[in-house]
Amino acid sequence: MKISVKDAETGSRISMDVESDNTIEEVVESAANYWNKDPGAYVVRFGKKVLSGQTTIKETMLQEGDVVELIPDPEGGKR
Amino acid sequence: MEQVLKAGDIDNDRYDRSKRLGWFDIEKVKKAKVLVVGAGALGNETCKDLVLSGFRNITLVDMDRIVMSNLNRCIFFSEEDARKKRYKAEVMAEKLKIIDSSVRIKAIVDKIENLPDGFIPSHDIVLGCLDNISARLHVNAHAYYGRVPYIDGATHGLIGKVQVVIPPETSCIECGMNVTHNKIRNMRYSCTGNDISFFEPKIPADINTTSIISAVQVQEALKVVHGRWSNVIKNIFYYDGNRNFSEVMELEINPACPNHGEIII
Repeated sequence: MKISVKDAETGSRISMDVESDNTIEEVVESAANYWNKDPGAYVVRFGKKVLSGQTTIKETMLQEGDVVELIPDPEGGKR
Repeated sequence: MEQVLKAGDIDNDRYDRSKRLGWFDIEKVKKAKVLVVGAGALGNETCKDLVLSGFRNITLVDMDRIVMSNLNRCIFFSEEDARKKRYKAEVMAEKLKIIDSSVRIKAIVDKIENLPDGFIPSHDIVLGCLDNISARLHVNAHAYYGRVPYIDGATHGLIGKVQVVIPPETSCIECGMNVTHNKIRNMRYSCTGNDISFFEPKIPADINTTSIISAVQVQEALKVVHGRWSNVIKNIFYYDGNRNFSEVMELEINPACPNHGEIII
């Protein structure tokens, strides 16, 4: 099925073909590579939920046409 | 005997304005044993807010020395501290007493991973002010196992987040790891058994975002010590200063996360 992935930083959107056994990690990697971003610095949210990387598309209950958002995942605070 | 008021007494109470919250109990706050892991930007702001809020028993763990590039965001460090290459935790322990001389700060100059297993669970609450996934996972696992609430802060430029972990009810840090985190974890615990060094790049840091994230961490710590469970963030407070918004987001427990399985003795 097709979902949309939105880049939170720029507002850009792409369509992505996903299978039920694809993981969110794979969605992040594909979208991040498309936008020349470091996949390790981002996570995906769907509405008010952060989707865990190991979750499959089937487990997320995403439907055709749903929009997920690629958001920065901050990690600093000490150095 | 008739009670006689003394005019102006209200402003002699350091915590008068805190008490006006209604639920604030200074005795609960003073008794709480707080562990702060990391004495950098977040650690500086978090400890400042903890002491101002009334916390009196603080243990601070950090292995680093002060450098000049810390000074744009670490209120307690000076140029002289940087020249002398003083340890961050030790300087903070001294400077925090300027805010309140009654505060008890134990400064430990070491990596959190080097401390004994029972160290983290010996506290009532843990605040994470770290900058790498390895230390976060270590603290997360020990806090979760010891059933100690863990409030983790993180920033990157004008973006920040606070995740509140209340074991065993909520998801934990490991439930929300991203692609790189998983790769680092898998490499670090590879079957070679060798410790692996990673290049950790410098991260953009802004004091204003740092202050916001630290403030939320301490605010959540206050809710936790008062048992205000219905008001605690569930599960992530996310702040974006570039796009001017903040939001609370949920993170479900990951069934594959090792911290949430049954403990088999």
